[in-house]
Amino acid sequence: MEIFQLEYITLITGGLLVLTGLWGIISQKNLIRMVIGFSLFDTGLHVIMISIGYIRNGTAPILDKAVDKVNAAGQIVDPLPQALVLTAIVIGLGVTALMLAYVVRLHKEKGSLNITNFKDLKW
Amino acid sequence: MVTPIFIIATGLGLAFALGFIPKKHINLTGILSFLGLAFMTFISGQWLFSYLGNNELSQFIFTAGARPPFAIALKMGQAEAMITLLINVVGLLSAVFLYDKLKQIGRNAFIIYLVLIMALNVIVMTRDLFNLFVFLEITSIATAGLMLLDSNLKTLSAGFKYLLATSLIAGVFLIGTIFIYSFGGSLFIDDLTAIGMAPLKAVSVAVFLLMISIILELKPFPANGWGLDVYQTANPGISSVISGGTATAMLFALYKIMPLSTMQSYDILIWVGLITFLGSNLMGLKQSDARRLLGYSSIGQIGLMISIIGMKPYIQFDIQIILLAILITHLMAKAGFFWLTGIVGNTDISKWGMIRKHPEMLFLMGTFVFALIGFPPFPSFFGKWQLIMELSSSGHFLWIGLILLGSLIEAVYLFRWLGYAIKKETATQSSIDIRPHKTLPTIIFAVFLYGVGYLASFWFPMGGSINWLPLAFIAILFALDFLPAWIKNIISIAGLSYYAYQIIPEQEGLYLIFAFIFLIGGILTLIPGFTNKGKRIGFYPVAMMMFVGMGMLIEAQSMLEFFFGWELMTAGSYFLIIRGHRSMPHALSYMLFSLGGAYLIFAAFGIAFAGSGNFLMSGLSTMGGLGGIAYTLLAIGFMTKTASLGLHIWLPGAHAEAESDVSPMVSAILLKAGVLGLIITFMAMGGPNNEYTTLPYVLGWLGAITALVGNLAAAFQEDAKRLLAYSSIGQLGYILFALAMMTHLGWLTGIGYSLSHFAYKAILFMGIGAVVLRLKTHNMFEMGGMIKKMPFTFIAVLMGIITLAGIPPLIGFAGKWLFYNAIIEKGWYFQGTIIFFAGIIAFLYCFRILYAVFLGQLKDEHRNVKEAPIWYLIPQYLLLLSIMIFSAKPEWIFQPLGSMLAPIFPQGQLVWNEGGTAFSDIGYWNGSWVMYIIGIMFVMIFAWLFIQNRKPKKVKQFNIVYAGEKPERPETTHMAYNMYSGYNKALGFITANGITTFWNWISEHVTAMGDSLRKIYSGNGQTYVFHIILFVIIVYLFSNGGF
Repeated sequence: MEIFQLEYITLITGGLLVLTGLWGIISQKNLIRMVIGFSLFDTGLHVIMISIGYIRNGTAPILDKAVDKVNAAGQIVDPLPQALVLTAIVIGLGVTALMLAYVVRLHKEKGSLNITNFKDLKW
Repeated sequence: MVTPIFIIATGLGLAFALGFIPKKHINLTGILSFLGLAFMTFISGQWLFSYLGNNELSQFIFTAGARPPFAIALKMGQAEAMITLLINVVGLLSAVFLYDKLKQIGRNAFIIYLVLIMALNVIVMTRDLFNLFVFLEITSIATAGLMLLDSNLKTLSAGFKYLLATSLIAGVFLIGTIFIYSFGGSLFIDDLTAIGMAPLKAVSVAVFLLMISIILELKPFPANGWGLDVYQTANPGISSVISGGTATAMLFALYKIMPLSTMQSYDILIWVGLITFLGSNLMGLKQSDARRLLGYSSIGQIGLMISIIGMKPYIQFDIQIILLAILITHLMAKAGFFWLTGIVGNTDISKWGMIRKHPEMLFLMGTFVFALIGFPPFPSFFGKWQLIMELSSSGHFLWIGLILLGSLIEAVYLFRWLGYAIKKETATQSSIDIRPHKTLPTIIFAVFLYGVGYLASFWFPMGGSINWLPLAFIAILFALDFLPAWIKNIISIAGLSYYAYQIIPEQEGLYLIFAFIFLIGGILTLIPGFTNKGKRIGFYPVAMMMFVGMGMLIEAQSMLEFFFGWELMTAGSYFLIIRGHRSMPHALSYMLFSLGGAYLIFAAFGIAFAGSGNFLMSGLSTMGGLGGIAYTLLAIGFMTKTASLGLHIWLPGAHAEAESDVSPMVSAILLKAGVLGLIITFMAMGGPNNEYTTLPYVLGWLGAITALVGNLAAAFQEDAKRLLAYSSIGQLGYILFALAMMTHLGWLTGIGYSLSHFAYKAILFMGIGAVVLRLKTHNMFEMGGMIKKMPFTFIAVLMGIITLAGIPPLIGFAGKWLFYNAIIEKGWYFQGTIIFFAGIIAFLYCFRILYAVFLGQLKDEHRNVKEAPIWYLIPQYLLLLSIMIFSAKPEWIFQPLGSMLAPIFPQGQLVWNEGGTAFSDIGYWNGSWVMYIIGIMFVMIFAWLFIQNRKPKKVKQFNIVYAGEKPERPETTHMAYNMYSGYNKALGFITANGITTFWNWISEHVTAMGDSLRKIYSGNGQTYVFHIILFVIIVYLFSNGGF
């Protein structure tokens, strides 16, 4: 079954994580749970990115004895998505941290973590 | 040249380095930050400079010496240089504005600010999709950080929503990016474009995700609640960076990635943009918070620019130039406006009257409002002009309609706000914050707007032919506003005389007549201004704006110049009208009707451009197949100025509440601009035997009914100036009717009426204006007996009334004689009867104003009233002299007029003999003899009365009996009070306020619609996230017609 190949499993897992994260952001009233939702969404994205670069039976993208330099592109896993993912993780970390900082400040101001209590601005 | 990588190096390096400066040296931190921002500005500036005038190739900078995706590529071309320069200038000036705030928070604030501006630069320059994602995130983190400059519950919750929304959006962008890489094998936009892989379904989904996420960053309606909250709560310095800088960068990013997508995607942009433009402005109608309102306006304008990017395939002209003109205006005006909210401090727009204490700040606000609406001389005027013309020539009239409708709705709330600032009384004593670091950036952008407007005129075809000299004169008057009124009056009269001297000798035909009314009339109506003591701040520049605008109508060779003049005139007259005592609501309705009319004219010009392929006024006669629609649009547009029935509700208030010497300007002169427009329209339709017969016929009826209703309403007024105002509506109805006949005699009548209405309405408004000035009341039942106190004014008004009523021997009678000849010849008997009836009704109000103001008992409190000021009498008597001359020698005016009309209407001319007798097909008339005979009759009757009534018994003021009762309201016993109550009972239903009610109904319902729409912004962050997801899905479904 082709669907059970590694790249598909990761792709589907990533997609499910993204959807779970979105669901969390939309349905959970607690601010911290919403941030966790975002974190899941973000992680899902990272998993999808990794799955894109995967080449079946490919090896690590290190040019050594195991890899023929001329045909390297066909043998190794694409290193670029992996590099990108590192950057994306770092950014995700920054965003999550800032969100949590906001949550702390919001809690200090109003003593509540319920998103429905922060509707002062509308229309 | 400094390589653009230094923009990043400076921003990023400095941000790191600032961390090493001890906290106590905050000033050093500040200075270094400014130097950094200035250096970044310098780099983009020098690149722009190097591209000016030569088409040097764009520079690509491959960092680390490799192509993407292995290293980042930056591009610095002409567009990038321009956009980064704009962003850096906003960044630099906003930093100046924010200086004390940033300093208060400390060095971290400077660091984040530098990172934000740097990130925006990278978004513009980068050609690498993943890099774009990274800097989208950095922008959103930095913005969320800067939100905390003003840390309170509102900013916190807005910041959290913003962070949540933008992170999700960036996530969508990331998915798109990674799939593009998967299919295209590259992240380099230029390589990807070169591959041309759009047709693949999977790729198109990925590109769609990229595009939709950038659109979402631009806060499209309705997935933008989070953006509104940020605009509302962030420090105005930050809001101006978001509106000016971030939005600009995102627009550029959108523009940059569009080549990756299919043609279909351009249509998505158009519709998303137009719906945003319309929806956002609609929801702004009910908003009273200044910053949230600006947020609505920002989102709307950005929506417009999104749609323009999408219109690229449909427009032949360089889309970048149109976009740039609108973008620059929006960026500077909106940033300036946000700063202004910081200066004023109060965010309730109805409290903005406090800005009046500083006229220069009010001037800035006016500049920003007019720039945002797209008035000349601002760049957006030219941008919108070219856009509408291009859309018209590609046949996209629906888009034109939506753009103009959205602009009109935006004008409603911006002008309401401006009205509050100029006029509304406020109780608050608090003063505004005019420290130099806050005002300086605002002033710089206002000045830039004018400067760039001048430059922008040369970017567009025919823009270079605009005569900027009179505008420079207006600018000088603004600069000289500190001088006493009489000096400025002399300067203005001198300037206008010189302008008249330049223009009038070059004119011929009908334009000569109108040049005379506009410019000589302008000079005459300026003379009463000498009575003003003090400075009369702001009066002269705007009066000149109106007259110069009208001069431009005369000068205009192209539709662009005409529209430029038309809008300038509208702006000037708006400011003149709003100066009046209780003029705030009237000025607003005047502005909205004028703008609505102007947009109809605009659309018709577009059709003319599509038909003729050029901008010349002569193109109006080549409408392609759409002549019927175009001429109707033109006629309705011009009738908003002539105040024909249905479009007249602004006039009575605007003219009656205006200052005493402004009323003649706006009544006797300004209305004739509409008449000129109608004449131009009718001439373009092709003279007497054209194919469009329905329009003149309908307009004829409209003119007749307008005359009837206007005259009847005039008879029922208690307010002397309102009476004259309604009388103008009626008189303009005559003119419309006469022109609509489309015959030689009809036009002779119409143009003759235009001239004589100019003369007698100026006399009447100046005369009655002087009475109002002296008695300090508009109510006629509070006047009376002025014949003894103001005899010279009485004589002038009497002569004016005789002319108006068409009583022999004055020129008005000549008008009537011509009128009836024309009607009989044309065969419009039904309409003619109405006109005739209206003429009789005119006697009612003519008598009323003479009787109530000048005859009857002198009121006790008016015993010490003096004659009108000499400066009011001089122009009245000059006009009276001309009326007398032309009444005695009507051939001096009607003969040349006839020969002007002969080329257009060769049939049915008057024949004049040596003795000055005019022969029409059905009769003859000699003005001189009528004058002699009436003169002799007058002398005889006067002598007889004099002999008969040598000892009349004078009724004293208190020689009255109340039958033992004291009336509760003494004025009810006054003859002039409710004078024609009997007629009112019989005919009053004709003047019932049906039309006002109709327009009120429209405005209420539109506002209510906006109000219910905006309820989707519930304030809940989760709802906003849900909106975003839904937006992506719905737009996808629409663009693909399902999954």
